[in-house]
Amino acid sequence: MNLLESIKVSLSAIFSNKMRSLLTMLGIIIGISSVITIVALGESSQKVIDEQFEAFGAGFAYFSINWRENYTIRDLLTSDDIDVLKSTFSDEIEAIVPSIYERGTVKSKSQKIDAGIYGGDENYIKIEKVDMIEGRYLSDEDVKGKRQVCIIDKEMALEIFGRSNVLGESLDIEIGGSPISLVIIGTYEKPKTTLQAMGGETIGNVFVPYTTLERITGNGGFYSEFEMSMGKETDIDSLTQKIIRLIEKRHGNEGENKYMVQTAEAELESINKVTGVVTLVIGAIAAISLLVGGIGVMNIMFVSVTERTREIGIRKAIGAKRKDILLQFLVESVIISGIGGIIGTIVGLSLSFVVSSIIRIPPSFSIETVIIAWLFSAGVGVFFGIYPANKASKLNPIDALRYE
Amino acid sequence: MIKIENLSKIYNTGIVSVEALKNINLSIEEREFVSIMGPSGSGKSTLMNILGCLDKPTEGIYELDGESVQDMSDDELAEIRNKKIGFIFQSFNLIPRVNALKNVELPMIYAGVSAKQRKERAINALQKVGLEERMHHNPNELSGGQKQRVAIARSLVNNPSLIFADEPTGNLDTKSGNEVMSIFQQLNAEGVTIIMVTHEFDIAMHTKRMIVCRDGKIIEDKPVENQIIIKKQEVSL
Repeated sequence: MNLLESIKVSLSAIFSNKMRSLLTMLGIIIGISSVITIVALGESSQKVIDEQFEAFGAGFAYFSINWRENYTIRDLLTSDDIDVLKSTFSDEIEAIVPSIYERGTVKSKSQKIDAGIYGGDENYIKIEKVDMIEGRYLSDEDVKGKRQVCIIDKEMALEIFGRSNVLGESLDIEIGGSPISLVIIGTYEKPKTTLQAMGGETIGNVFVPYTTLERITGNGGFYSEFEMSMGKETDIDSLTQKIIRLIEKRHGNEGENKYMVQTAEAELESINKVTGVVTLVIGAIAAISLLVGGIGVMNIMFVSVTERTREIGIRKAIGAKRKDILLQFLVESVIISGIGGIIGTIVGLSLSFVVSSIIRIPPSFSIETVIIAWLFSAGVGVFFGIYPANKASKLNPIDALRYE
Repeated sequence: MIKIENLSKIYNTGIVSVEALKNINLSIEEREFVSIMGPSGSGKSTLMNILGCLDKPTEGIYELDGESVQDMSDDELAEIRNKKIGFIFQSFNLIPRVNALKNVELPMIYAGVSAKQRKERAINALQKVGLEERMHHNPNELSGGQKQRVAIARSLVNNPSLIFADEPTGNLDTKSGNEVMSIFQQLNAEGVTIIMVTHEFDIAMHTKRMIVCRDGKIIEDKPVENQIIIKKQEVSL
């Protein structure tokens, strides 16, 4: 008996017990669809994280004083350090600025708006990426001249002035209790990253020359941290180590572990580790339901074998060999699981699309997942079908024929 | 065609062992039409199961067409059943889910015959037993006699040299029983060897040779005198 005949016989057996076959499939459908949903959502969130990573800048590094160690003013970073780094690693470093961030309040006619104020320079756009709409970005002259200029996002402009063409207007802002007026030299489109779309940051961001911000807050010259962006081809690990060694040498504190570095790559890695574990754990729980479904298939195959004992006897009497009977029941089990797997895949993908549209992340569809899921469900059919099928194939024809 | 020597079959149930056949010797030639009779427990069914290659003897020699069958594996026996032997049972043993045609095709599926040839040969076999108009009916839509004729068609379809019938008329009325016996006599006339187990003397009278078993032994083996011949026109095939 060839495979095609086995498939025909199995299909006729499956269709003669429609309800039972359907309920058995349901176990597989639930198992496969939950695995597919979890994996697809895991992939989607992975995509979101990668996207964020891309938005924050792939070659991003953040240097700071190692807060766990005691440090003195001697160890603090200076603007000279930055200049030296800029000239030493001019090929690799795209932008490097001391990291200065303040919270402030912007006054409009009717309300106060919280704003994050970032100190930057002409290259800061490479670290904190923005799309300019009007005007210009910060310039070298702005930084050197400690000019009282700023760029703001479009929404903030609309909020405060009721219009978007606000170049040359002055922005009244209060930073650390001291009011100051800044001239708006540019507006930018707030980047719509997915996390923000999900309801992250809503306050406006203002970019100001870092020298200006230092003057406002009154603590200049020494920094505890700075940000850097590197070219895409750069070996981030080796460059950051070189930088730390150079800084240590300049401050005479080699080997004292005074500085630390965080890179976006390392951050991403640790985030990925977490999401990977979460996906794995939930996926494993979903896989348990697949296991239960598989046991359901095995159970029904045993019923099927018992029910058709006489048929097995007839088939054996007229010349069916062991492998013919084995194949017949194995194919039946694989077909039940396989059809369940196909339906489960469709259900799982639809479900993941629905869920990702509800939590507003881009849906993910990978053909590998579908193929793996389907092969897995067929594998479940083989694994849970082989025992009942083997039992059927070993039946003694005389006993089977006498079975009532 | 069939030669058995000193054949014994012992069933071991674990607690007791039952000697179902004791040192049987028997030979059956081609074109014979033999009935095996005996009360229940006489060993006639065991004998038929062994002759039909459904079971293996515990001891002794069984040669079928010159081949020693007693030491063959299950799969080798399955092949012999498929190619050389046709079975007809008291309870018909058709597969209930599929129609008459598919039931008749079944032995050819295991013989690896192509689909087209299968259908052709199955229809021929059904014609031979006069059931071609009913080939698309499922077994539950057929009468007992019709079911048994489907079973006969199925047993014939691989052109076996040997047909075993186990109480083939046991579940049939006299008329249907006569039809079946008539078919057997025709087949025998065409050269098919038939071995039939029955406990009805009347039915055994349709055969040419009668073997009587008791307590696992053959106690009588004689040609049938005054064989009942059913004339073809007496039954409507």
